Amino acid sequence: MATAFRATTKGYRADLDQHERRLLSSLCADVITLLQNREKETDSTPDGASEDPDFAHFRAEMAGLGSDEPLAAPTDEVLRRLLPDALADEEEAGHFRRLSESSLRGAKLADLRTARMLLESSPLSIQEDVAPVFGRALNDLRLTLASRLNLETEEDAERVHELALASRSKDSESFMAEIYTFITWLQESLFSAMTEFLPEEETDEDTGAA
Amino acid sequence: MSSAQGSTLSREETDLDSEFSQLLSGQRPYQVVVWNDPVNLMTYVSWVFRSYFGHSKARAKELMLQVHHQGRAVVSHGPREKAEQDVTAMHQFGLQATLEEAE
Repeated sequence: MATAFRATTKGYRADLDQHERRLLSSLCADVITLLQNREKETDSTPDGASEDPDFAHFRAEMAGLGSDEPLAAPTDEVLRRLLPDALADEEEAGHFRRLSESSLRGAKLADLRTARMLLESSPLSIQEDVAPVFGRALNDLRLTLASRLNLETEEDAERVHELALASRSKDSESFMAEIYTFITWLQESLFSAMTEFLPEEETDEDTGAA
Repeated sequence: MSSAQGSTLSREETDLDSEFSQLLSGQRPYQVVVWNDPVNLMTYVSWVFRSYFGHSKARAKELMLQVHHQGRAVVSHGPREKAEQDVTAMHQFGLQATLEEAE
């Protein structure tokens, strides 16, 4: 039985069973694959171009700068949630997406890869500096599952919660609901612990507006 | 418009003045809006507002509750470039956010 995250002298620690760590890791791998497929889909580099990984970042930048065409939002619901439109107007959103999506995708891929690496250790021990990374990755897993469970309203959230608690019959929807609820619990415990250690600093804006 | 009353600007005129200067500089002000959604946890959203914008605990909670109860909250203002940076950061954290011209 898993125990939630709590603060330690070296960061945060949770005790997860091996199958729980494997499950989280394989979910991360699924989202990584989704994001990589999107990368291939949007890659405008002609075939036969250099495959040198050192130039991958450069090519990603050029892909953004090379074209003035707006980039259409992904058709997959999960990808639309992970890589949302930044503007209400579709065309403006497409232009912004052309410039920004690859770096957002890259940031999410990096978070998920780090999370997979961290999930290799038992107990799950997360140092202070990578805690936000792990927390963002957990959030992306929840967004992914929520999207697959059509969780769009507060009522839906209630339905998913009921589904996770009530059902012992393991159809794929109730299984997903159960995992979603598990990750919610894990993420909540991590950020509750992290919030305790966040130093209180007032910005000028805060003192001015108060 | 000239005025015989001289140099005493009312507060209203001062505000207009700053809007004009923003127009003259060619930079329209933008704002970033975070939208409510049933997935992101209250603890998480408050933490994001504190750690990214440097808000106090109380201010972050106030903004988070505004998102939760009113469906949206303006979390930052500024030139287009800053708004783009902030909206991308919010997307990295997985929050639903858009940028728009400030009213």
